[in-house]
Amino acid sequence: MADAPNFEKCTLAYTLPWEAGWVTAVTFIGASRKLAAGNEHGQIMLWEVPEKAGETVPLPTRRLDGHTNYVSRLFSAADGKTLISTSYDHSLRYWDMTAGSKGEDSVVLQTKKAPNKEPVPTLTHKVELQASEKTLGGHKDWIQATDLSADGNLLVSGDDKGNVIVWDRPAGTELRRWQLKGWAFAIALSPDAKLAAVAERIPLIFDSGRQAALRLWDVTTGQMVKDFSNQQGAKGEHFGAAAWSPDGKLLAVGQGNESSGKIYLLDAATGKKVQEIAGHLSGVNELRFLEEGKLLLSTGRDTAIRVWQTSDGKKLAEVGKPRGGQFKDWYHAMSLSADRKWLAAADMAGAVAVFAVG
Amino acid sequence: MNPLCPVREHVSRRAFLKASLSVGGAAVANWGGLFNSASLAAEAKKQGMRCILMWMNGGASQIDTFDMKPGRPTGGPFRPISSKVAGTQVCEYLPKLAQQTDKLAIIRSMVTSEPDHPGGITSMHIGYRPEVSIAHPELGAVIAKYHGKPDSDLPTFIRMGPAGNGGPGFLGPEYQPFSIGRDGRLPPFSDAYATAESEKRRSDLLKLVEDGFTQENKADPYGAHRLAKEKAWRLLKSKGIFDVTKDWPKAKERYGDSEFGRGCFLARKLVEADVPFVEVGHDNYDSHADNFVCHKANMNQLDPAWSSLLIDLQERGLLEKTLVVWMGEVGRTPYINNRAGRDHYIRAWTIVLAGAGVKGGLTYGETDIDGKTVKDKPVTEGDLFATIYSALGISPRTKHMVGTRPITVAPERSVAVADILS
Repeated sequence: MADAPNFEKCTLAYTLPWEAGWVTAVTFIGASRKLAAGNEHGQIMLWEVPEKAGETVPLPTRRLDGHTNYVSRLFSAADGKTLISTSYDHSLRYWDMTAGSKGEDSVVLQTKKAPNKEPVPTLTHKVELQASEKTLGGHKDWIQATDLSADGNLLVSGDDKGNVIVWDRPAGTELRRWQLKGWAFAIALSPDAKLAAVAERIPLIFDSGRQAALRLWDVTTGQMVKDFSNQQGAKGEHFGAAAWSPDGKLLAVGQGNESSGKIYLLDAATGKKVQEIAGHLSGVNELRFLEEGKLLLSTGRDTAIRVWQTSDGKKLAEVGKPRGGQFKDWYHAMSLSADRKWLAAADMAGAVAVFAVG
Repeated sequence: MNPLCPVREHVSRRAFLKASLSVGGAAVANWGGLFNSASLAAEAKKQGMRCILMWMNGGASQIDTFDMKPGRPTGGPFRPISSKVAGTQVCEYLPKLAQQTDKLAIIRSMVTSEPDHPGGITSMHIGYRPEVSIAHPELGAVIAKYHGKPDSDLPTFIRMGPAGNGGPGFLGPEYQPFSIGRDGRLPPFSDAYATAESEKRRSDLLKLVEDGFTQENKADPYGAHRLAKEKAWRLLKSKGIFDVTKDWPKAKERYGDSEFGRGCFLARKLVEADVPFVEVGHDNYDSHADNFVCHKANMNQLDPAWSSLLIDLQERGLLEKTLVVWMGEVGRTPYINNRAGRDHYIRAWTIVLAGAGVKGGLTYGETDIDGKTVKDKPVTEGDLFATIYSALGISPRTKHMVGTRPITVAPERSVAVADILS
C-alpha cells in the first residue's frame, strides 16, 4: 500500500473553471490524472490534471454529451477504460475512455470569478466531443443513489420511484430489481458485493407520508435482510450518503438534506451505533473509507472535505472551508486520485476544486 | 324582511347610531353587512354555488408547476409534459392533472403585495392587503354568507390542515371557520358524551337560562357563545358526513394515500352535502432549500388528489357549481439559490381556477423568458378575488358597513378578469 496521504497538508492547487451552473459529480479515471466532472445540465467534462501543483490551470479536453439532466454520480471502472454516469434523466451511461472524439465545440469556461476569488481568465475554449458508449434504461425517475462494487462487476442504482436495480456492469444488463417504499437516497455495497445498504426518503414535511428507512438488501435475491430504520441514530433520518468499511464491519451513513450533517458509524451486523461524528454544518453528500477503514472522508453542504479517525470520531483534517452564512454552496461530491496525490471536489458554485494532498 | 338575512344585517336606528358614534370601524366590526343587499344574498343562495380552496401552504413554485422555463437558467431539473390542451404544458410530476387541463384556467401573471407568510396568507385569503383598522373576512366567510344555507346542520365554512388566518372579520362569528384535522378527521371533543335525548334536554335548559341572561345583559360575545353552542349541537346530528372510513380504502386508489388526498375526497363529499366552502391545506411548499425534492414529493400527492377531485365533481354534475381554487400565499423565485431552493416571489406567479363560472382550457397572462416579470395582463390579489366572487355569482362591489365605512368584498379598484369568466 502507498504511504498514507497527509490531508493536513492539503492545499488548493487548481480551481478548474467551468461556467456550468452547479458542478454535481466528480471522479478521477482509473489510475490516471484524468478527471471527469458532471453538471446540472447533464454535461460531463474531462480534464488532465498536471503532474504537480503550480502549473498553468488546466483546461478541459473533452465534453461527453448525452445526458439531458443533472448528472448525479460518476464512477470509474478500476481499469480506467469506462466511465459510468447516472442522471436525473432516468438513465445510466457508459463512456469509453479509450474512444476517439466525434468532433469539437467551443465552450465558455469562465465569465465570473471563481469561488476562491482568484483571477481566472475569461475563456472560451475548444473541446473534443464524445458520445456515450451505452445507455442503460429501466429507471423511471431521478437516479440519485448508486454504488459500484469494489471489483467493478456489479452496479446498483436506485431512483425516486423507489426502484433499485442490480446491473451486470460489464454487460450492462439488468440482473434483478426490487421496490422500496420511499425514494432511494443513498446506496452502499458491502465489500463482497452481497449486500446493499439502501437509505430511503420521502421528504415531506408535516405529513405522515414522510418516509425514512435504512435497510440491508441481499443483492443476489432482492430480499430485505435487515432493517436498521429504528436503530438509535437512524430513526426518522434521511441519509444522503453511505459507505461500507473495507472489512465489512462498519457502515457509515451521513444525514442528508438540510440536516445537522452528522455521520454515524453503525455496526454493519446489528445496526447499532458505534460512533457519532460531527460531520458537516449541513447535509452529507459523500462518504469514503480509507486506510483499511481507519479513516473516513466526508463532504457535504459546507464546501469542506473532512477526514475523520473512525476509532474515536476525531477530526484529523479539513480540506476547504465553509463559506459561511445562510447561502453557502455545497460540495456535491469528492474523488481521491488512485495515487492519492489529488483530491477533487464538485463545487456547486460552478467549478472543480483540485487539492494537492501532502 | 328576507328570512335568509339576520336582523343585524339591516339598518336600524340603533345600529346607525352605534356606527355614527364609533371612533373606528373595528369597534363595531361584527355589525357587518348593515347595508348589504338582502336580495343579492338571496339570489346568490339560489344558485347554490360552492368553492373548494386547495391551499398550498408556504407558496408553491410556479416555474416548477404551470409556468415552466425549460432550458433557461431559472428552469430547474423538472421537465414539461404536454397536456390535454394543445400548447399548454405542465410539470412532468403532474401527469394526471395534465389530462384535466381542459378544465383549468391558469393565471400566470399574478402580481401581489405581501412577500412573506403571515401577510401573504392573510391577503390571499381576504383579497386585500392586511389592514389594522378593518378586519376583512376570509374568502370562505364571504362565500359562506352568500351561499350557505342557514338551516343546514353542517358548518358553512370548513377548513382542514394549514389554512387561512383571517377568520370571518366584520361578517361576525356566524361565519367563523370550522377547523378539522389535516386528514379530515373531527377532533375528539366532537364525540358526544351523552345520549341525543340528554343532549337535547341540556341544550334546551341552557337556552332557557341564557335567554334570560341575555335579556338583561346585551353584548355580542354572549350571542356569539350561544351561536357556537347551537352550531355544535347541530353538527353532532350530521357528523357522519365527516367519516369517510368506509369509502376511503377505495377512494385512496385514485386520490392517493395521503392526508391531502383524503382531505380532497372529504371536500368533495362536503360540497355534495351543500357545504358552500371547504379549504384543504397542503403542507409545505416553503422550499428555501431543496425546492425540487420538496415540490416533487408534494406534487406526487397533489396530482392524484386534484385530478380525482375534478373528475368526481364533473361526474356528479357538481363542477359547474363548484369553483376549485389552487393557490398559496406567494410564488417562488425564478432564481435558484445555492441551497437548491427558491425563495418567496410575488412579482410573477401562478394561480389556477377550475369549475364554476370560469372557462377551462386557457392560460391567462404571460411571464418573460425567465419568469422574472409579468409581460402581459397582470392580476393582483384584489383582481383575483373579484374574479372568484364574480364566478360564484357574488358582486365584487357588494358592500358591508364597517363602522361608518362601506367596504366592498373585493377592493374598490379591483377588476374581475373577464377573459376567464364563463
